Amino acid sequence: MSALTTMARSGRAAGARPRSRRGTRLSPYLFVAPFFLVFAAFGIYPLVFALQLSFTRWHGAGAATWVGLGNYAYLLTSPEFWASLGNSAVMWLLIVPIQIVAGLAGAVLLANAKLRLRGLFRVAFLAPFVTPLVAMAQVWIVVFDEDYGLVNHLLNLVGLPDVGWLTSTAWSKPTLALLFLWKTTGFAIIILLAGLQAVPAAVYEAAAIDGASRRRQFWSLTVPLVRRSMAFLVVVQTLAVFQMFAEPFVVTEGGPYGSTTTAGLYLYDHITASDLGTGAANSFLLVLLVFGLSLGAVRLLRPKDEVS
Amino acid sequence: MNQTRPGPVQYALLALLAAAFLYPIWWAVSSSLKPAADIITDPLSPGPVTLDNYRAMFADVPIGTGFANTALVLAVKGAMTMFFCPLAGYAFAKYAFPGKNLLFGIVLLTLMLPTLVLIIPLLLEMSALGWVNTYQALILPGSIDAFSIFWMRQTIAAIPDELIDAGRVDGASEFGVFARVVLPVIRPGLAALAVLTTMNIYNDFVWPVVAVNDTSHQTLQVVLSTLAQNVTGNRIGADFATVWGELLAAGSIAMLPLLVIFVLLQRHFINGILAGSVKG
Repeated sequence: MSALTTMARSGRAAGARPRSRRGTRLSPYLFVAPFFLVFAAFGIYPLVFALQLSFTRWHGAGAATWVGLGNYAYLLTSPEFWASLGNSAVMWLLIVPIQIVAGLAGAVLLANAKLRLRGLFRVAFLAPFVTPLVAMAQVWIVVFDEDYGLVNHLLNLVGLPDVGWLTSTAWSKPTLALLFLWKTTGFAIIILLAGLQAVPAAVYEAAAIDGASRRRQFWSLTVPLVRRSMAFLVVVQTLAVFQMFAEPFVVTEGGPYGSTTTAGLYLYDHITASDLGTGAANSFLLVLLVFGLSLGAVRLLRPKDEVS
Repeated sequence: MNQTRPGPVQYALLALLAAAFLYPIWWAVSSSLKPAADIITDPLSPGPVTLDNYRAMFADVPIGTGFANTALVLAVKGAMTMFFCPLAGYAFAKYAFPGKNLLFGIVLLTLMLPTLVLIIPLLLEMSALGWVNTYQALILPGSIDAFSIFWMRQTIAAIPDELIDAGRVDGASEFGVFARVVLPVIRPGLAALAVLTTMNIYNDFVWPVVAVNDTSHQTLQVVLSTLAQNVTGNRIGADFATVWGELLAAGSIAMLPLLVIFVLLQRHFINGILAGSVKG
């Protein structure tokens, strides 16, 4: 609105520059058009197509058979579908609470105004976030190998037996969760640090004068004030965990015994099996779930005084 | 926050945390530089430096093709993001036009669309177009993304209107104002966008692994994952250690470009990450 109203207010004669005025009217549409073209071609079209596909049985060739809600019914009664959601839910429990606590601890440590070498620590914490996931997944394969890996080598040195980090159903999820935590906790620290630094130092000084202890200050000032950053993190990481794909795809291929077949990887399995109608239905169920979870997280973590 | 000088405990904790984040990277790089057999027999000590793993890896793995394909996708897709997203952001920030709120609402809505939902339908669209195993399949989907538009709108909204009007008075065309007034002013924002876009395209994996299956079009990440699958699928064999050496060499060399960019441009990088959290 500003550009047009300012022009009108500045009182330039309307007829003086007709070409430019018509340009003004058309140009914003031209400027946003490329996004909408790309989105229509590679967003809306495939979405509509997928919705239609989700009501059919189709294996990538020949005619599709209309099955109504059959694919949805199949998935909702399929143990494998629920197992994939269960695996993702366990991953979520192993990742999000730990990341929030560790992220907050790291951020509080970094927030001290008199800290030296802050830049250096920040670089170290964020380095994993920059590394390609696939490359680090390879490192995980090697480091957590049952027979020759570094971790079991260390365990043997102190007299402990080998652990099947990637080959036992008990440890496969925590080992992948650790990869996710290692890679993204630095990101959490930086986000929470920004939230912390938005709190004016004067607020803490006032609290200290009022006699609030350090612990008291943390719980009644810091935590409520970084709630917004925490809510953001929980939403982003919930989306990421339920779409987790590359970690199990590269490191465990969903095994052992399907224990790391996350919701994201299960979706991919439909592609491999050329069961595309079911895959499309699975996509939409997953979207509904992820939407619901993010909405719930936003509700739960919203500061109480905010209405919308 | 608390203004007391940090004590040794605080530094020790920070150092411990830093070590936990850096050690896997250090271990991968240093192990890739020692004789392959030592990676298995003596994973702790660095050992004598050798480039044997790299030589073997370059001979066995099409990593050069991977780098070239990633560079091509990065150049074209990155250029599209860097040009069209600020342009759309400018329209949303500084113009009044009928339908603007609706259109911007659509942009915001697409922000919430999980990537995964589009994978299967996009793949089908690509095969209908005959685009499986092509560069356009790797480049076009997601080339003008909603988040970057949203971010650039926020950045451009902070420019005073007077500056833009002054550009108009000087007789610049509408696009001229964007190119010669707006873009120079938001240079720091563009730098952050460039760094973040580079990271996202370079590390992108889910779509490339689905869209491309012939070696000649594989991006770097897909080449790496193929190598990893060879390892997990082929555990037994005399040259098991050699394969590990190649794996670590490939991983290390793939990490390098982004780590260098990150260390050199960390300020822009961190600005980019923080810009993303504002939408929350």
